[in-house]
Amino acid sequence: MAQNKPAGTTILEVKELSVSYGHVNALKSVNIEVCKGEIVVLIGANGAGKTSLMETILGVNEVDSGAIIFEGKEITKKSADKIVRSGIFLVPEGRGVFSSMTVTDNLLLGAHHNLKGSKEKMDYVFSSFPILGERKGQVAGTLSGGERQMLAIARALMSSPKMILVDEPSIGLAPKIVNDIFDILIKLNKEGYSILLSEQNVYKALKCAHRGYVMETGKILLSGSSEELLNNSEIRKAYLGA
Amino acid sequence: MEIFIAQVINGLSLGSIYVLLVTGFNLLLLVAMIIHFSFPVVVVFSMYIAWIVLGLTGNNIFLGVTAGILSAILFNIITAPMFQHIMKKRGEVDINSTMVLSMGLGMIITDFLSHSINSGFPIAFPDNLTGRAEGAFLKFGLISMSRGAFLALTVGVVFVSGLFWLLYKTKQGRAFRAIAEDPNGAKLVGLPILKTGLQSYALTGFLGGSTAILMAILLGSASPGLGDQLGHKVLAVSIIAGLGNLKGGLIVGLALGILEALVQGYWTGTWSNAIAFVIMLIAILVKPKGIFGMKL
Repeated sequence: MAQNKPAGTTILEVKELSVSYGHVNALKSVNIEVCKGEIVVLIGANGAGKTSLMETILGVNEVDSGAIIFEGKEITKKSADKIVRSGIFLVPEGRGVFSSMTVTDNLLLGAHHNLKGSKEKMDYVFSSFPILGERKGQVAGTLSGGERQMLAIARALMSSPKMILVDEPSIGLAPKIVNDIFDILIKLNKEGYSILLSEQNVYKALKCAHRGYVMETGKILLSGSSEELLNNSEIRKAYLGA
Repeated sequence: MEIFIAQVINGLSLGSIYVLLVTGFNLLLLVAMIIHFSFPVVVVFSMYIAWIVLGLTGNNIFLGVTAGILSAILFNIITAPMFQHIMKKRGEVDINSTMVLSMGLGMIITDFLSHSINSGFPIAFPDNLTGRAEGAFLKFGLISMSRGAFLALTVGVVFVSGLFWLLYKTKQGRAFRAIAEDPNGAKLVGLPILKTGLQSYALTGFLGGSTAILMAILLGSASPGLGDQLGHKVLAVSIIAGLGNLKGGLIVGLALGILEALVQGYWTGTWSNAIAFVIMLIAILVKPKGIFGMKL
């Protein structure tokens, strides 16, 4: 396995994390690390535990053992609203926007814990995503898949997060839109957001990330820099069809 | 024609009461995620508390009204941990267990009222609260409105518009709507589910307590069985409008009030319940998911 010691200060560290739903072990002693300013990708098939890991970091699942450390503070047993307050925001799989609510309301939900300055944040979001500005009065249910994904990302930005977890953003989107979404993530990363991404679109994800972890049945199988993983023969065989 | 208008106005007043009760029930269903079909029983309990305090204070209206409203808020908040205990374990609407809890609370209240207060006889509210002795509060020809009818209608309009303002214009309301649409999604964006749920208990308590006072003024009396009777109607109105559909509840609640008043005005008061339920039966046969659709 490739040496995987990231450079820079750690923002998120997951140590020996285990989670189970009833009798099913969803995560088995998972260790990952994300540094400030990095995009780190979790690669794996359906059911590998990517979503479980993200939701556990966010405080939604009960932890059996292990620890989650964010900016040097343990957040393992904290509730989701406290963790969101501390600066982590999730862009859920399947977007998770509220379809009966307007674009503006969806954005303001992201800023729920700190509405101060939400006007300025909203202007910033609309300048980054002009299409959302055009549709701000429409209910989210009328948006296209790509627009909903943008809304979910924009909603994350409204919370002024230090770190964004993005769960399978490319799922169900046309290839051109997928490219747009990855461009957006790279742009956000350049603006300073640390990003933990989960993807099945392995090639594209590794092209945009700094490092990656390969997950299978709740375990971390491999880790390394994006180049190492792209050149890894097992990964090429399993995920890239080469 | 004047009789018709008079009865429609009466119906709107009675309908306002139904609307307030259905709205409270729907809010608990949407935000706290419980089926509290004994909510109207809690409201009748608050009528009794108001009556007791009125009796103890020599019919001091301010104290009686305050006690009635506070008792409903307190009752809701005190019972909330029991409901939330179930909700925390299930995470989603668990109709069976919250219904049993609600039913149990309703039975305890009804039993308590029929054994321990006024020997189970109906209670009558004093004239200085109901305004009965003064006669009509407003009068135009044959059309007249009692104080209770006038208050029920105006307070109903004010409260329901206030509620929609709260739901659509405030931060708390936004959180309410998000939880109502998708509790898990709401958790993922960091909304405090239990705390927001608790706020909905307090809010519906306030709605319920205020409705108790309006009912005391409008009806002038209460009996231990009133809560169950209203409970059936509120559940029926909510399901016929579409469970959790606030706007639907508003329309069907008012319609039920008008229907009952028209039956009383043109036919016979004693049959108004049965006729109302026959029409509701037909409505549910034609539209099993409710006239305006469920919103859960």
